[in-house]
Amino acid sequence: MKTPPQGPVPDDTPDITPEPAQRASLPAASAVSRRRLLGAVGAGAAVAGAALGAGGTALAGRDSGPGAAAPAGSAAPATVDFRGTHQAGIATPSQDRLCFATFDVAPGATRADLAALLTTWTAAAEAMTLGRPVPGDEGDLNTPPDDTGEAVGLTPGRLTITLGYGPALFDDRFGLTARRPSALRPLPKLPGENLDPALTGGDLCVQACADDPQVAFHAVRNLRRLGFGTVLPRWMELGFGRTSSTSHQQATPRNLMGFKDGTRNIDARDEDVMGRHVWIGQEEPQRWIRGGAYLVSRKIRMRMEQWDRDRLGDQQDVFGRYKGSGAPLTGHGEFDTPDFAAKSGGRYVIPDDAHIRLASPEHNNGLRILRRGYSYTDGIDQQTGDLLGGLFFVAFMNSPDRFVTLQRVLGAHDALNEYIQHIGSGVFAVPPGLAAGHDWGEQLFG
Amino acid sequence: MTPRATPRRALACAATVITAGLLLAACGGDKDDSKGSAPAAADNAAAKSSTVKIVVSDEDCAPTPASVPAGTVRFEVGNKGSAKVTEAELLDGGKILGEKENLTPGLSGDFTLTLDAGKYQVYCPGAKTEKSDLTVTGTARKTWKDDPALVGATQQYATWVTGEVKELVTGTDAFTAAVKAGRTDDAKKLYGKARVHYERIESTAEIWGDIDGRIDGRIDDAATAADFTGFHRIEQELWEKNSTAGLGTLADRLSADVHELHTKVQHVEYQPAAIANGATELVNEIQTSKITGEEERYSHIDLLDFDGSLAGAQEAVSVLLPVLKQKDPALADTVTSRYQATATALKAYAATPGYQDSGYVDYSKVTDAQRRVLAQAVDAYAESVSKIAGKIA
Repeated sequence: MKTPPQGPVPDDTPDITPEPAQRASLPAASAVSRRRLLGAVGAGAAVAGAALGAGGTALAGRDSGPGAAAPAGSAAPATVDFRGTHQAGIATPSQDRLCFATFDVAPGATRADLAALLTTWTAAAEAMTLGRPVPGDEGDLNTPPDDTGEAVGLTPGRLTITLGYGPALFDDRFGLTARRPSALRPLPKLPGENLDPALTGGDLCVQACADDPQVAFHAVRNLRRLGFGTVLPRWMELGFGRTSSTSHQQATPRNLMGFKDGTRNIDARDEDVMGRHVWIGQEEPQRWIRGGAYLVSRKIRMRMEQWDRDRLGDQQDVFGRYKGSGAPLTGHGEFDTPDFAAKSGGRYVIPDDAHIRLASPEHNNGLRILRRGYSYTDGIDQQTGDLLGGLFFVAFMNSPDRFVTLQRVLGAHDALNEYIQHIGSGVFAVPPGLAAGHDWGEQLFG
Repeated sequence: MTPRATPRRALACAATVITAGLLLAACGGDKDDSKGSAPAAADNAAAKSSTVKIVVSDEDCAPTPASVPAGTVRFEVGNKGSAKVTEAELLDGGKILGEKENLTPGLSGDFTLTLDAGKYQVYCPGAKTEKSDLTVTGTARKTWKDDPALVGATQQYATWVTGEVKELVTGTDAFTAAVKAGRTDDAKKLYGKARVHYERIESTAEIWGDIDGRIDGRIDDAATAADFTGFHRIEQELWEKNSTAGLGTLADRLSADVHELHTKVQHVEYQPAAIANGATELVNEIQTSKITGEEERYSHIDLLDFDGSLAGAQEAVSVLLPVLKQKDPALADTVTSRYQATATALKAYAATPGYQDSGYVDYSKVTDAQRRVLAQAVDAYAESVSKIAGKIA
């Protein structure tokens, strides 16, 4: 256990900052009509294509691009563009909820099967991000509906669907060995981790983020359904609350330990920083993946009961921040730059094993990653009755080596390790965004 | 099956039972329900194309003309000046077939439908006269009964079901005789041999509701201990107590029930869509009650049940396959290859003579990881089978 904080004590009142972009209610016009779009055909009619989308069913105002933040004080846009230079769901201001799934290609499925599925997924994903049902011949009473239906009547909720490819996809099964992104390989064994194979890896990953958990779940469920016979679900996580803000216009949320742990995250609106730390650039010999990013996921279980019994002073030393304000132990406001050199009574004010010290760019040669994680829960541990839950960490970066470098330090020295364990893991190459008329199948296979 | 699940509904509703002049009509009006649906267009190559104009107003939304021939109908909807009435829908009874909404004054739009002969209504909520009739003229839509290939398929399926139920009777009588004679080891081996025929035709046996529960119900489904009868009640005694003591009455009742089923299935006419949906139910049952080990929880001959359900689904698909190949060759290929993948996955557990003479290994020895592989093949097959009915109906 640690000594109580020695440094100056800032105003420690709880932060109740509203989240400007997230909480404003949507205007009536943006309540697009998933219900109407589906309803028009759901009753047993064959409606010719032109009937949909025309006239009064225009969609609500679009986000001006995946990187654009909602203007503060106004309503959040209901939709985020599916197409663009980069895939949506990376620089997009973090939505409130996540559904993340990984898949393996089924034994016996061919290159053509996978290419066809990726083309189908593109169309379905684009439709769903617009708040439309999965395309198909809905309404035939003798056929199961092509869309499972639970998102009907919900707004699109800024749904983004982000696709990534795991290292194993580039083995010899599908003729992709020559297209492997050069930094894509399984993560090495990292200190302190205890990975469950059932929560680790996968040939493909799908990250669906939305402000409504049912919209995010619906997206993954329907992609999974389209994948029957071609891909097999490997593991899936539902993130019930975002733990990161990817734009300084969003308030920093708290993790399940009650701390703000993303204050110094990259502001994804900063294209220069994104270009240097997140997007795969010209240095990458595989041209097709340039403009993409690597996604590292870690399922991090928190020992919440033990943490909750730790005294406040120690909790704050573990993070290096005040629990209430989120300020570094050397500062007064959340966004004050931590002073890692400050000492009091011969000790660092921000202890040398504090989480924010070890994770900081100052201690990692300027290394930064874009964190986009969510809190999760799996219910109750049947053996102990303890809560099962923690952080489903997702981060984007221009090389997974960045995460490895950071985690080698954190896994070995972070004071937080007493209360957490990494139990699942994934690394994926996320291709760049799609231009109009293109799809994931042709992008992958060239 | 799991009686409290509802798969029996679909097939029961769609099968017509002909007994001594009594026609138990199908529920749900399958013919009417598919009026105006996409497949009608494909069936009717000579279908005409026409346009109906609708101007919504505070007064009404009467269509012009008020009568068109069956076929493709394009509805052009406009609003010249009503702030109150801003949408028009085409209704078939209470059902919306198509609509144009949010038509503020000056806006117009259109939608297109394929319509069969009949009476429809144009509906504009808020107008003085909200509903105006639209008549679609022409001959009644063709049904599957006009297609000799489909009629042949249903007859072929009916013959097969009858044959399976006959074997069910023979097998069950041998099983119940062994039970009554106290030949426990024989009874255990005959149990699976009788049951496999039930698994093959289970989706049709479920038409009869009560009888399925009596023959195939589980302990969880029984309201009282006395309601737990049939195969699984006897299974429980045979495997848990290794005894036939006191099972005579249950054996007699099971025998009587399968004989009654045999009598009843002589008079059933199956509809093509119902045969296809029955196949989906059988494959779904593999997933929910065979892969889980739920159904044969005492005997663990689940892989033989799996075999039976899969064979039953395959038979149903086979009789429809010639028609499906014409209507959707890609789906026909997918269904065929996924069936083969499932059969191959199952075959990995085949054994001779196998556990309890079942032809397969003891299912309790199959690991969770192995079960998941089986389940993945079954899921993929079920997904493709579920699309057949819409293509052939």
